[in-house]
Amino acid sequence: MTGGPANSASGPVARTDPPPSGRVRPFRFPEATEARLANGMAVHVASKAAFPLATAVLVVKAGEAAAPADKDGLPSLCANALEGGTTSLSARQLALGFENIGAAFAVATTWDATSLSVSCLAEHLPRAMSLLAQLVREPVFDDDEFDRFKARRLAAVRQRAMDPAALAADAHAHFVFGRRFPYGRPLGGVAETLAALAPADARAFAESCYGPGHAALVVVGDIEAEETLEAAERAWGDWRSSASPPELSGGPPAADGRRIHVVHRPGSVQSEIRTGHVGVSRAAPDYIPLQVFNLILGGAFSSRLNLNLRERRGFTYGARSGFAARRSPGPFFVSTSVETAVTGPALREVFREVEEMARGGPTIRDVETATGYLAGVFPLKFQSLGQLAGAIARQFVYDLPGAYYRRFQESVRAVTQEQAHHAGRAHVRPDELCTVVVGDAGKVVPALSECDLVLPGGAARLTVHEDFAPSAFDG
Amino acid sequence: MRDMGAALANISQDQLDNGLRLVMAPDAGAPVVAVNLWYAVGSRDEPPGSTGFAHLFEHMMFQGSAHVPKNGHFEHLERVGGSANATTWFDRTNYFQTLPSHHLDLALWLESDRMGWMLPALTEEKLQNQRNVVLNERRERYENQPYGNWDERLQALLFAPEHPYHHTVIGAAEDIEAATLDDVRAFFRAFYVPDNAVLTLCGDFAPEDARAGVRRYFGAIPPGQSRSPAQGKAEAGFSTGETMRVEVRARVPLPRVYMAAKVPPFTSEEFYAGQVASACLGAGRCSRLHDRLVRGARIAKSAVCHLLPLTAGATMLVVVVTGLPGTTAAELEEAAGRELDDAASLDDGEVARSVTGMETRALRSLQAVGERADLLSMYATCFGDAGRAREDLAWLRQVGTDDVQAWAKTYLHEANRAVVRYEPAGAA
Repeated sequence: MTGGPANSASGPVARTDPPPSGRVRPFRFPEATEARLANGMAVHVASKAAFPLATAVLVVKAGEAAAPADKDGLPSLCANALEGGTTSLSARQLALGFENIGAAFAVATTWDATSLSVSCLAEHLPRAMSLLAQLVREPVFDDDEFDRFKARRLAAVRQRAMDPAALAADAHAHFVFGRRFPYGRPLGGVAETLAALAPADARAFAESCYGPGHAALVVVGDIEAEETLEAAERAWGDWRSSASPPELSGGPPAADGRRIHVVHRPGSVQSEIRTGHVGVSRAAPDYIPLQVFNLILGGAFSSRLNLNLRERRGFTYGARSGFAARRSPGPFFVSTSVETAVTGPALREVFREVEEMARGGPTIRDVETATGYLAGVFPLKFQSLGQLAGAIARQFVYDLPGAYYRRFQESVRAVTQEQAHHAGRAHVRPDELCTVVVGDAGKVVPALSECDLVLPGGAARLTVHEDFAPSAFDG
Repeated sequence: MRDMGAALANISQDQLDNGLRLVMAPDAGAPVVAVNLWYAVGSRDEPPGSTGFAHLFEHMMFQGSAHVPKNGHFEHLERVGGSANATTWFDRTNYFQTLPSHHLDLALWLESDRMGWMLPALTEEKLQNQRNVVLNERRERYENQPYGNWDERLQALLFAPEHPYHHTVIGAAEDIEAATLDDVRAFFRAFYVPDNAVLTLCGDFAPEDARAGVRRYFGAIPPGQSRSPAQGKAEAGFSTGETMRVEVRARVPLPRVYMAAKVPPFTSEEFYAGQVASACLGAGRCSRLHDRLVRGARIAKSAVCHLLPLTAGATMLVVVVTGLPGTTAAELEEAAGRELDDAASLDDGEVARSVTGMETRALRSLQAVGERADLLSMYATCFGDAGRAREDLAWLRQVGTDDVQAWAKTYLHEANRAVVRYEPAGAA
């Protein structure tokens, strides 16, 4: 220890009530400089100099939703295979290029976008940005390297099939969205589609979908805006491409009342439960009130689902709910995993909480707590450069207003009890809850049958799937 | 020369009369603060028949105290935009919250109430509830997961039954079921005392006000009577005598091998050479394991290596290799074993690259106030000096290639190895 012992507390302290808060210090979301290169590419630069670090992200509005027919998984595999080498650097040289300067390179593909990001010491940013540009603009999709990435993807598909949470998410998507609509199929493809992919497919996808017209470069960290914009111009200014990713067409099938699908997973000691239906798109005008509603239902530790299923009944390690925000409406879902023997009672409590929340709505106190949480926790979401760059990239992908983050705390604090309830009533439909239970069917089915799951709106119909595997094809 | 940034520039350390150590690292960057409390107690302190108890106890710390109702801890914090959690590990249990900085006193009030006044709020009903929650945590994270019992098998092979790391943190289900209220009371009195804890504050606050707040809320809590003697025998030497191996046929998607070596602990000077060796072997796409097993021989989907920062006499280096379909766990073990045998040939380029990568990762991890606070609590607990965190990178840069080679040669041979092989059930 450096200092010596300190004096002990002087005088008693009132313990019975929480202490008053101190003086509020406002949070300001870092100002980003926005520019557009002549070729149409957007550039966002934000300075944040707490550490001598920098992060650059190239984000393209082309994700798994842009997969051509019968080529599910191509957008993800194509993005991974960019690391397989460029016209001037082999895969190994590329990896050395990043790691010799301590740069971490990562690829992420969602339904709506592909992001390639690199994080490093700010002094190495020019080199890292040049590698990033080379990798996107001059990929070769070498046969051998492509096969290596493909083999790893295929192995990952096997892993998903045996992971209870991943299997439940894939099965739930399948039963909610149907296999004809992309959201009903596993993100990243299935064995049949992946096995058929060739380097030529990746080349064609990169040519038709990666281009400056719908891409943004986000650079944040211990950097100068002007210098960074010049570097962006040098690396990307002469990128020419007429690429234009396709829009998602069609939609999910109409909801079919309440259903329960039991997906057999031999030897399971828990039931992995998902229930929900088609939710909202990221562009929904009541997206923020809906976040408030969801926080109260299942978005935080003290939300109703978790307090009931975990803290009151001890059925689970945790229960939560959410809306997956995508360009087209993604799922609304409740997820939890419970000891097999209590599958029935647990599901009944989930249904009850969803119904009560949709019908009765939140209390004033619920809304104060939820808006206090969402506004208060906001500054904590932008501590790292990766978080900050990710937020700016999402703003680009979902066309959020320029002042979205700067006004977020104000917007969320303005949400009223009525607005939150209205949003919940509009987007949560208890009669349409489609449920997946991944577990040992021989034990789950009796556990469900013992429990009276007949509810207003009609009984849930039960189907058992002995050998469920997500598929990309009609059949 | 790069440093750890302004965020670790002004560390002050202090101690209350009751023995509570206080570390403060103010930084006015964003209006947030992290309150992090380490208790020097973990699964290593569990007597036989009570495995998993330190972790179950951690759950009980969120069940309320004399002035805070059940779930009040989360509700008070969440209302103002705070987050809280805790984790139990081999040597320590950490409790942490991050929140808007003007609510710092709220977190001090909550943490001090359970340090000083947890027992009056204890009930059998709460214990029964959390036993069920923990048993479900065990099912969700271990029993229902492919490869879910790997650590139980690996630790049992690597450490003798009397060693405190012989059993896992989650513990045995029957031990968790057997825990009583008296166990909770005894554990609280032995370990949850101010003189067995480090409190770290990081972020936006005025140090004088914060120090006064800490004294106000924690100052009246009496120190512990005496610490329980350490459990088991930590002296183990760095050898298993021969390769200890177990083969498991189970419902797993791909063959996988876990390999561990018993190596000098976090608190030893040699740990730095170990960290560099571990990074050269299994961190990043240029590491030996990835380069040769994933890229080169193309038998693995992934191949990584970790060195855990444990302190009781020894720690573990753990290699995890997941095979592609068509490979066998035996093949993976052989290939990974060759890399461990060959680690004495690591060269200057590999060492320099690994140190560069570690420096950058260290800086990146310090960006979040919560991680900074946790790091300082760790150094204060393990070395008695939080300031040691600042010197870490300098120590790493001093590691020479010959140190790395010598470390690998001394500890990574086949007479110091535990191996758990998983083969998919039904595979030939």
